[in-house]
Amino acid sequence: MKKILIVITGILFFTVSTQAQRYITKSGNITFFSDGPLEKIEAVNNKVNAALDSQNGMFVFKVLMKSFVFEKALMQEHFNENYVESDKYPVASFKGKVINISDINFKKPGDYQAKVTGQLTIHGKTHPVKTTGTFTVNDKGIKGKSQFNIKLIDYNIEIPSIVSGKIAEEILITVNIDLKPLKQ
Amino acid sequence: MKKIVLAIAILVILGALYGWFFVYNKPHTDFEKSKPDFEVTATELYNNYVTGKGNRYNGKVLKLTGTVKATDDGDTLITLVFVFNEGMFGDEGIRCTLLPKFNPQIRKMTLPATITLKGFCAGYNGTDVVLEQCSLLK
Repeated sequence: MKKILIVITGILFFTVSTQAQRYITKSGNITFFSDGPLEKIEAVNNKVNAALDSQNGMFVFKVLMKSFVFEKALMQEHFNENYVESDKYPVASFKGKVINISDINFKKPGDYQAKVTGQLTIHGKTHPVKTTGTFTVNDKGIKGKSQFNIKLIDYNIEIPSIVSGKIAEEILITVNIDLKPLKQ
Repeated sequence: MKKIVLAIAILVILGALYGWFFVYNKPHTDFEKSKPDFEVTATELYNNYVTGKGNRYNGKVLKLTGTVKATDDGDTLITLVFVFNEGMFGDEGIRCTLLPKFNPQIRKMTLPATITLKGFCAGYNGTDVVLEQCSLLK
């Protein structure tokens, strides 16, 4: 009887410990918005890679700077050539964690508040980020939404004085991702 | 004499304003009409980026030929996928998002198929080489 119990416990433990699932997207959406005194500047990137590990909360983003689209082509050119220097620093990345991952029940549909911390690297410079967001679990996967501000100075992004009236020092970043389970 | 100088000055200023306005509102590049900067095979392109030699393609227009195994059919955009590896984000390789006008054409194709396309290379994000606004050639 003891042996059977041990075997059953072993099987259950094995089943529970292989619950780890990775959720990914390659078409995540990130928008940044700058409300300067003279002009509003907005750009969209919908080719963002994001991955979330449901067991340890590991949360990673990879963003190609040249995929940001602005309404004005000239602004897009200035962004790439002068501000973020995308030839030198083609990728921005976030390496972090959902610190309350155990609060999220990936099997139960609904909204869950998430606390995220990590390191954001833009323009070759890394700076810590701490924010909150919402994960919505459904039968297809997980949708994630978050908004936070960053300071351009933290990433050595310099706006020439002629233009600085147009661009705010703080940029609002909005993240919208639709994560699907990665088949292993 | 003064009037002529004034008239010329106004014309020059108007010309400059018009020119500036024209540049300020310049249109986005029509990648369907762009001439390719490089012609590569999918294998060449992927291997170059993986070995750290791909930077020359960043921001350039590429003409790419390779075997497409699958497509990612999104809401409005279809992405052609060339797969070479597996990793943290699943399949790794090259992803080419088509200009919507080519959607009907690709939906009619049976895959896998050898395809030649032209598009803007946004770069390599550590997982995939990303090409955008692609046109199907051939």
